[in-house]
Amino acid sequence: MLPLSLLRTGQNHQILVELKNGETYNGILVNCDNWMNINLKNVIRTSKDTDKFWKIQSCYIRGNTIKYISVPDEIIDLVVEEEHTFKSYQPTGRGDGSGRGRGRGGENSRGRGEYTGRGRGDYSNRGRGGGTGGDSSSSRGRGDGSTRGRGGEFRGRGGRGRGGVPS
Amino acid sequence: MLFFSFYKTLVGKEITVELKNDLSITGLLQSVDQFLNIKLKDIKVNEEEKYPYMISVQNCFIRGSVVRYVHLPAGDVDVETLQDHSRLEAREQKKVQQQAQQQAQQAQQK
Amino acid sequence: MSFGSSSLGDEVDKKLIVVLRDGKKFIGTMRTFDQFANIVLQDTIERVYVGDCYSDKSLGVFFIRGDNVVILGEIDPDKEVQEKRLQKVSWDEIQKLYELEKQKKEEEEQLKRKIMTDSGLTIDSILNIDEF
Repeated sequence: MLPLSLLRTGQNHQILVELKNGETYNGILVNCDNWMNINLKNVIRTSKDTDKFWKIQSCYIRGNTIKYISVPDEIIDLVVEEEHTFKSYQPTGRGDGSGRGRGRGGENSRGRGEYTGRGRGDYSNRGRGGGTGGDSSSSRGRGDGSTRGRGGEFRGRGGRGRGGVPS
Repeated sequence: MLFFSFYKTLVGKEITVELKNDLSITGLLQSVDQFLNIKLKDIKVNEEEKYPYMISVQNCFIRGSVVRYVHLPAGDVDVETLQDHSRLEAREQKKVQQQAQQQAQQAQQK
Repeated sequence: MSFGSSSLGDEVDKKLIVVLRDGKKFIGTMRTFDQFANIVLQDTIERVYVGDCYSDKSLGVFFIRGDNVVILGEIDPDKEVQEKRLQKVSWDEIQKLYELEKQKKEEEEQLKRKIMTDSGLTIDSILNIDEF
Protein backbone atom coordinates (compact mmCIF):
# COMPACT_ATOMS: atom_id res chain seq x y z
CA MET A 1 0.00 0.00 0.00
CA LEU A 2 1.48 3.30 -1.06
CA PRO A 3 0.89 6.55 0.80
CA LEU A 4 -0.95 7.98 -2.18
CA SER A 5 -3.38 5.08 -2.34
CA LEU A 6 -4.23 5.82 1.26
CA LEU A 7 -5.01 9.37 0.27
CA ARG A 8 -7.19 8.10 -2.55
CA THR A 9 -9.09 5.99 -0.08
CA GLY A 10 -9.67 9.15 1.91
CA GLN A 11 -11.93 10.58 -0.80
CA ASN A 12 -15.19 11.96 0.58
CA HIS A 13 -13.71 12.19 4.04
CA GLN A 14 -12.84 15.23 6.08
CA ILE A 15 -9.09 15.95 5.99
CA LEU A 16 -6.77 18.66 7.18
CA VAL A 17 -4.01 19.85 4.89
CA GLU A 18 -1.15 22.02 6.05
CA LEU A 19 0.80 23.78 3.34
CA LYS A 20 4.49 24.51 3.41
CA ASN A 21 3.67 28.15 4.14
CA GLY A 22 1.85 27.16 7.33
CA GLU A 23 -1.73 27.76 6.18
CA THR A 24 -4.16 24.95 6.87
CA TYR A 25 -7.13 23.84 4.81
CA ASN A 26 -9.80 21.79 6.50
CA GLY A 27 -12.36 20.22 4.17
CA ILE A 28 -13.77 17.21 2.42
CA LEU A 29 -11.42 15.52 -0.02
CA VAL A 30 -13.10 15.38 -3.42
CA ASN A 31 -10.27 14.12 -5.54
CA CYS A 32 -6.53 13.67 -5.69
CA ASP A 33 -4.02 12.55 -8.28
CA ASN A 34 -0.61 10.95 -8.42
CA TRP A 35 1.12 14.30 -7.94
CA MET A 36 -0.82 14.80 -4.72
CA ASN A 37 -2.77 17.68 -6.27
CA ILE A 38 -6.06 17.71 -4.45
CA ASN A 39 -9.57 19.07 -4.67
CA LEU A 40 -11.40 20.00 -1.49
CA LYS A 41 -14.93 21.17 -0.83
CA ASN A 42 -16.54 22.94 2.15
CA VAL A 43 -13.19 24.29 3.18
CA ILE A 44 -12.06 26.35 6.11
CA ARG A 45 -8.75 28.02 5.49
CA THR A 46 -6.70 29.11 8.49
CA SER A 47 -3.81 31.53 8.36
CA LYS A 48 -0.32 30.61 9.53
CA ASP A 49 -0.79 32.20 12.96
CA THR A 50 -4.24 30.62 13.28
CA ASP A 51 -5.77 34.05 13.77
CA LYS A 52 -7.67 34.45 10.51
CA PHE A 53 -10.26 32.15 8.98
CA TRP A 54 -11.89 31.94 5.60
CA LYS A 55 -14.76 29.82 4.38
CA ILE A 56 -14.23 28.52 0.87
CA GLN A 57 -16.71 26.44 -1.07
CA SER A 58 -14.13 24.47 -3.00
CA CYS A 59 -10.46 24.70 -3.79
CA TYR A 60 -7.64 23.02 -5.61
CA ILE A 61 -4.24 22.59 -3.98
CA ARG A 62 -1.12 21.88 -5.94
CA GLY A 63 0.59 18.83 -4.50
CA ASN A 64 4.05 20.26 -4.12
CA THR A 65 2.87 22.99 -1.75
CA ILE A 66 1.67 20.46 0.81
CA LYS A 67 3.55 19.87 4.05
CA TYR A 68 1.35 17.23 5.62
CA ILE A 69 -2.18 15.90 5.69
CA SER A 70 -4.12 14.59 8.63
CA VAL A 71 -6.70 11.95 7.73
CA PRO A 72 -9.39 10.26 9.84
CA ASP A 73 -8.24 7.13 11.68
CA GLU A 74 -10.68 4.80 9.96
CA ILE A 75 -9.00 5.33 6.59
CA ILE A 76 -6.22 2.89 7.41
CA ASP A 77 -8.78 0.16 8.09
CA LEU A 78 -10.56 1.03 4.86
CA VAL A 79 -7.36 0.64 2.88
CA VAL A 80 -6.74 -2.76 4.41
CA GLU A 81 -10.29 -3.83 3.55
CA GLU A 82 -9.96 -2.60 -0.01
CA GLU A 83 -6.77 -4.49 -0.42
CA HIS A 84 -8.40 -7.70 0.68
CA THR A 85 -11.17 -7.18 -1.83
CA PHE A 86 -8.69 -6.73 -4.64
CA LYS A 87 -6.71 -9.75 -3.66
CA SER A 88 -9.73 -12.00 -3.83
CA TYR A 89 -10.33 -10.75 -7.36
CA GLN A 90 -6.91 -11.76 -8.43
CA PRO A 91 -6.93 -15.32 -9.64
CA THR A 92 -3.24 -15.55 -10.43
CA GLY A 93 -1.96 -12.96 -8.04
CA ARG A 94 0.87 -14.04 -5.87
CA GLY A 95 -0.67 -12.61 -2.80
CA ASP A 96 2.24 -10.43 -1.95
CA GLY A 97 1.65 -7.63 -4.38
CA SER A 98 -0.59 -4.73 -4.08
CA GLY A 99 -2.90 -5.67 -6.87
CA ARG A 100 -3.68 -2.04 -7.23
CA GLY A 101 -2.54 -1.25 -10.67
CA ARG A 102 1.00 -0.44 -9.93
CA GLY A 103 2.56 -2.74 -12.44
CA ARG A 104 4.39 -1.38 -15.36
CA GLY A 105 2.94 -0.65 -18.73
CA GLY A 106 5.52 -2.47 -20.76
CA GLU A 107 7.42 -1.37 -23.82
CA ASN A 108 4.72 -2.78 -26.01
CA SER A 109 2.12 -0.40 -24.90
CA ARG A 110 4.35 2.58 -24.33
CA GLY A 111 3.69 5.50 -26.55
CA ARG A 112 0.76 3.99 -28.26
CA GLY A 113 -1.28 6.66 -26.72
CA GLU A 114 -3.95 4.36 -25.55
CA TYR A 115 -4.12 1.45 -23.31
CA THR A 116 -5.21 -1.65 -25.12
CA GLY A 117 -4.68 -4.43 -22.70
CA ARG A 118 -2.30 -6.33 -24.89
CA GLY A 119 1.27 -7.37 -24.46
CA ARG A 120 3.05 -6.79 -21.23
CA GLY A 121 1.05 -3.74 -20.47
CA ASP A 122 -1.84 -5.60 -19.09
CA TYR A 123 -0.83 -6.02 -15.64
CA SER A 124 -1.89 -2.80 -14.48
CA ASN A 125 -5.22 -1.94 -15.68
CA ARG A 126 -6.44 -0.41 -12.52
CA GLY A 127 -4.70 2.89 -12.43
CA ARG A 128 -5.72 5.48 -10.00
CA GLY A 129 -9.12 6.93 -9.83
CA GLY A 130 -10.49 4.03 -8.00
CA GLY A 131 -12.61 1.66 -10.02
CA THR A 132 -13.79 -0.94 -7.62
CA GLY A 133 -12.30 -4.25 -8.19
CA GLY A 134 -14.18 -5.41 -11.20
CA ASP A 135 -11.48 -4.77 -13.69
CA SER A 136 -8.66 -6.07 -11.63
CA SER A 137 -9.71 -9.56 -12.41
CA SER A 138 -7.56 -9.47 -15.49
CA SER A 139 -4.56 -8.10 -13.75
CA ARG A 140 -1.75 -10.48 -13.26
CA GLY A 141 -0.17 -9.44 -10.03
CA ARG A 142 2.70 -7.13 -10.10
CA GLY A 143 5.91 -6.95 -11.98
CA ASP A 144 9.24 -7.57 -10.45
CA GLY A 145 10.60 -5.26 -7.83
CA SER A 146 12.63 -3.19 -10.19
CA THR A 147 9.67 -1.97 -12.13
CA ARG A 148 7.34 -1.19 -9.34
CA GLY A 149 5.59 2.03 -8.93
CA ARG A 150 5.45 3.16 -12.48
CA GLY A 151 2.76 2.31 -14.89
CA GLY A 152 -0.33 2.94 -12.84
CA GLU A 153 -1.01 6.11 -14.62
CA PHE A 154 -0.92 4.67 -18.04
CA ARG A 155 -4.55 4.77 -18.71
CA GLY A 156 -6.05 7.78 -20.35
CA ARG A 157 -2.79 9.55 -20.21
CA GLY A 158 -1.56 9.11 -23.71
CA GLY A 159 1.22 6.80 -22.80
CA ARG A 160 3.24 9.12 -20.64
CA GLY A 161 5.28 7.42 -18.01
CA ARG A 162 6.16 9.11 -14.80
CA GLY A 163 9.69 8.28 -13.81
CA GLY A 164 9.67 10.70 -10.95
CA VAL A 165 12.93 11.98 -9.55
CA PRO A 166 12.57 13.54 -6.16
CA SER A 167 14.70 15.96 -4.28
CA MET B 1 25.84 7.45 -9.87
CA LEU B 2 29.49 7.88 -8.97
CA PHE B 3 28.87 9.17 -5.48
CA PHE B 4 26.30 6.51 -4.85
CA SER B 5 28.94 3.90 -5.58
CA PHE B 6 31.45 5.85 -3.57
CA TYR B 7 29.22 5.98 -0.52
CA LYS B 8 28.61 2.29 -0.83
CA THR B 9 32.30 1.68 -0.27
CA LEU B 10 31.99 3.53 3.04
CA VAL B 11 29.23 1.37 4.49
CA GLY B 12 30.11 0.34 8.04
CA LYS B 13 32.48 3.28 8.55
CA GLU B 14 31.91 6.12 10.97
CA ILE B 15 30.85 9.36 9.32
CA THR B 16 29.52 12.70 10.50
CA VAL B 17 26.61 14.21 8.65
CA GLU B 18 25.91 17.91 8.99
CA LEU B 19 22.39 18.89 8.01
CA LYS B 20 21.08 22.15 6.62
CA ASN B 21 19.40 22.84 9.97
CA ASP B 22 22.87 22.74 11.60
CA LEU B 23 22.19 19.45 13.31
CA SER B 24 25.29 17.32 13.11
CA ILE B 25 25.19 13.56 13.64
CA THR B 26 27.97 11.02 13.92
CA GLY B 27 27.27 7.35 13.35
CA LEU B 28 28.04 4.21 11.42
CA LEU B 29 26.92 4.36 7.80
CA GLN B 30 24.37 1.61 7.45
CA SER B 31 23.10 2.14 3.93
CA VAL B 32 22.71 4.67 1.17
CA ASP B 33 20.50 4.86 -1.91
CA GLN B 34 20.62 6.62 -5.25
CA PHE B 35 19.24 9.89 -3.83
CA LEU B 36 22.07 9.77 -1.30
CA ASN B 37 19.59 9.27 1.49
CA ILE B 38 21.64 7.98 4.37
CA LYS B 39 20.94 5.57 7.19
CA LEU B 40 23.07 5.80 10.30
CA LYS B 41 23.44 3.37 13.16
CA ASP B 42 24.41 4.06 16.79
CA ILE B 43 24.28 7.79 16.37
CA LYS B 44 25.69 10.53 18.55
CA VAL B 45 24.45 14.07 18.14
CA ASN B 46 26.85 16.96 18.54
CA GLU B 47 25.56 19.51 21.05
CA GLU B 48 22.97 17.00 22.17
CA GLU B 49 21.49 19.33 24.77
CA LYS B 50 20.29 21.59 21.97
CA TYR B 51 18.36 18.79 20.30
CA PRO B 52 16.43 16.95 23.05
CA TYR B 53 14.31 15.07 20.53
CA MET B 54 17.33 13.13 19.37
CA ILE B 55 17.93 11.61 22.82
CA SER B 56 15.72 8.60 22.19
CA VAL B 57 17.05 7.92 18.71
CA GLN B 58 19.69 5.34 18.02
CA ASN B 59 19.27 4.63 14.32
CA CYS B 60 18.05 7.15 11.80
CA PHE B 61 17.28 7.84 8.18
CA ILE B 62 18.41 11.16 6.75
CA ARG B 63 16.90 12.48 3.55
CA GLY B 64 19.65 13.19 1.03
CA SER B 65 18.24 16.59 0.16
CA VAL B 66 18.82 18.01 3.65
CA VAL B 67 22.48 17.10 3.95
CA ARG B 68 24.95 19.96 3.91
CA TYR B 69 28.23 18.16 4.51
CA VAL B 70 29.42 14.66 5.15
CA HIS B 71 32.68 14.35 7.05
CA LEU B 72 34.47 11.23 5.89
CA PRO B 73 37.19 9.20 7.54
CA ALA B 74 40.25 10.29 5.59
CA GLY B 75 41.90 6.89 5.77
CA ASP B 76 38.99 5.14 4.10
CA VAL B 77 38.77 7.36 1.04
CA ASP B 78 40.62 5.98 -1.92
CA VAL B 79 41.27 9.23 -3.72
CA GLU B 80 42.95 7.67 -6.72
CA THR B 81 40.06 5.39 -7.54
CA LEU B 82 37.71 8.30 -7.10
CA GLN B 83 39.72 10.36 -9.57
CA ASP B 84 39.86 7.51 -12.05
CA HIS B 85 36.15 7.06 -11.91
CA SER B 86 35.52 10.78 -12.30
CA ARG B 87 37.61 10.79 -15.46
CA LEU B 88 35.82 7.72 -16.72
CA GLU B 89 32.46 9.32 -16.13
CA ALA B 90 33.52 12.56 -17.81
CA ARG B 91 34.74 10.61 -20.82
CA GLU B 92 31.51 8.73 -21.11
CA GLN B 93 29.49 11.88 -20.88
CA LYS B 94 31.55 13.40 -23.65
CA LYS B 95 30.95 10.34 -25.79
CA VAL B 96 27.21 10.61 -25.31
CA GLN B 97 27.31 14.29 -26.20
CA GLN B 98 29.28 13.63 -29.35
CA GLN B 99 26.87 10.91 -30.40
CA ALA B 100 23.96 13.25 -29.89
CA GLN B 101 25.69 15.92 -31.97
CA GLN B 102 26.39 13.47 -34.76
CA GLN B 103 22.82 12.35 -34.80
CA ALA B 104 21.63 15.92 -34.94
CA GLN B 105 23.96 16.64 -37.86
CA GLN B 106 22.80 13.57 -39.73
CA ALA B 107 19.22 14.55 -39.21
CA GLN B 108 19.96 18.02 -40.61
CA GLN B 109 21.62 16.61 -43.70
CA LYS B 110 18.58 14.56 -44.43
CA MET C 1 17.04 -0.04 -7.49
CA SER C 2 14.05 1.84 -8.75
CA PHE C 3 12.91 2.11 -5.19
CA GLY C 4 14.83 5.04 -3.83
CA SER C 5 14.21 4.92 -0.14
CA SER C 6 14.28 1.16 -0.24
CA SER C 7 16.09 1.21 3.04
CA LEU C 8 12.95 2.51 4.78
CA GLY C 9 11.47 -0.95 4.49
CA ASP C 10 13.03 -1.93 7.79
CA GLU C 11 11.27 0.91 9.59
CA VAL C 12 7.74 -0.10 8.64
CA ASP C 13 5.56 -0.71 11.70
CA LYS C 14 8.19 0.81 13.97
CA LYS C 15 7.78 3.81 16.20
CA LEU C 16 9.56 6.77 14.65
CA ILE C 17 10.18 10.40 15.27
CA VAL C 18 9.93 12.48 12.12
CA VAL C 19 11.54 15.89 12.03
CA LEU C 20 10.28 18.29 9.38
CA ARG C 21 12.03 21.18 7.73
CA ASP C 22 9.97 23.68 9.69
CA GLY C 23 11.25 22.11 12.92
CA LYS C 24 8.05 20.27 13.86
CA LYS C 25 8.41 16.80 15.33
CA PHE C 26 5.93 13.99 14.90
CA ILE C 27 6.03 10.63 16.62
CA GLY C 28 4.05 7.67 15.36
CA THR C 29 4.12 4.20 13.89
CA MET C 30 5.14 4.22 10.26
CA ARG C 31 2.71 2.21 8.15
CA THR C 32 3.86 2.90 4.63
CA PHE C 33 6.24 4.96 2.52
CA ASP C 34 7.20 5.49 -1.12
CA GLN C 35 10.21 6.45 -3.20
CA PHE C 36 9.86 10.15 -2.34
CA ALA C 37 9.92 9.34 1.37
CA ASN C 38 6.25 10.31 1.63
CA ILE C 39 5.17 8.51 4.77
CA VAL C 40 2.04 7.56 6.64
CA LEU C 41 2.12 7.52 10.44
CA GLN C 42 -0.52 5.99 12.66
CA ASP C 43 -1.34 7.11 16.22
CA THR C 44 0.67 10.22 15.58
CA ILE C 45 1.49 12.80 18.20
CA GLU C 46 3.06 16.17 17.63
CA ARG C 47 5.68 16.87 20.25
CA VAL C 48 6.86 20.39 21.00
CA TYR C 49 10.04 20.96 22.97
CA VAL C 50 10.89 24.22 24.70
CA GLY C 51 13.89 24.21 26.98
CA ASP C 52 13.49 21.31 29.42
CA CYS C 53 9.75 20.94 28.81
CA TYR C 54 7.77 19.12 26.22
CA SER C 55 4.14 18.50 25.36
CA ASP C 56 2.19 16.18 23.08
CA LYS C 57 -0.91 16.58 20.98
CA SER C 58 -2.44 13.51 19.40
CA LEU C 59 -3.32 13.71 15.74
CA GLY C 60 -4.28 10.22 14.54
CA VAL C 61 -3.34 9.13 11.03
CA PHE C 62 -0.87 11.41 9.40
CA PHE C 63 0.41 11.67 5.86
CA ILE C 64 3.70 13.54 5.49
CA ARG C 65 4.99 14.73 2.16
CA GLY C 66 8.56 13.60 1.57
CA ASP C 67 9.96 17.04 0.65
CA ASN C 68 9.52 18.20 4.20
CA VAL C 69 11.26 15.34 5.91
CA VAL C 70 14.65 15.98 7.48
CA ILE C 71 15.13 12.93 9.67
CA LEU C 72 13.33 9.74 10.51
CA GLY C 73 14.63 8.46 13.81
CA GLU C 74 13.87 5.05 15.17
CA ILE C 75 12.77 5.44 18.77
CA ASP C 76 14.77 3.17 21.00
CA PRO C 77 12.59 2.04 23.92
CA ASP C 78 15.61 1.89 26.24
CA LYS C 79 16.72 5.38 25.39
CA GLU C 80 13.19 6.71 25.52
CA VAL C 81 13.25 6.35 29.28
CA GLN C 82 15.92 9.04 29.43
CA GLU C 83 13.41 11.48 28.04
CA LYS C 84 11.75 11.41 31.44
CA ARG C 85 14.43 13.87 32.48
CA LEU C 86 12.35 16.37 30.61
CA GLN C 87 9.25 17.74 32.17
CA LYS C 88 5.93 17.08 30.53
CA VAL C 89 3.57 20.05 30.55
CA SER C 90 0.17 20.79 29.09
CA TRP C 91 -0.29 21.86 25.50
CA ASP C 92 -1.44 25.35 26.48
CA GLU C 93 1.57 25.69 28.73
CA ILE C 94 3.99 24.73 25.99
CA GLN C 95 2.37 27.20 23.59
CA LYS C 96 2.98 29.97 26.11
CA LEU C 97 6.57 28.88 26.66
CA TYR C 98 7.04 28.72 22.93
CA GLU C 99 5.76 32.26 22.45
CA LEU C 100 8.08 33.51 25.19
CA GLU C 101 11.02 31.75 23.59
CA LYS C 102 10.11 33.23 20.24
CA GLN C 103 9.93 36.72 21.68
CA LYS C 104 13.28 36.28 23.34
CA LYS C 105 14.83 35.17 20.06
CA GLU C 106 13.27 38.10 18.26
CA GLU C 107 14.68 40.55 20.76
CA GLU C 108 18.12 39.00 20.50
CA GLU C 109 17.88 39.18 16.77
CA GLN C 110 16.90 42.82 16.84
CA LEU C 111 19.79 43.63 19.13
CA LYS C 112 22.18 41.77 16.87
CA ARG C 113 20.78 43.56 13.88
CA LYS C 114 21.18 46.91 15.56
CA ILE C 115 24.80 46.21 16.42
CA MET C 116 25.46 45.04 12.91
CA THR C 117 23.84 48.02 11.22
CA ASP C 118 25.55 50.43 13.62
CA SER C 119 28.86 49.03 12.47
CA GLY C 120 27.81 49.38 8.85
CA LEU C 121 26.74 45.82 8.02
CA THR C 122 23.42 44.54 6.78
CA ILE C 123 22.32 40.96 7.18
CA ASP C 124 19.36 38.98 6.03
CA SER C 125 16.96 37.98 8.72
CA ILE C 126 18.01 34.88 10.57
CA LEU C 127 14.72 34.78 12.44
CA ASN C 128 13.36 31.85 10.53
CA ILE C 129 16.55 29.90 10.70
CA ASP C 130 14.57 26.77 11.58
CA GLU C 131 13.10 26.74 8.12
CA PHE C 132 15.44 26.15 5.26
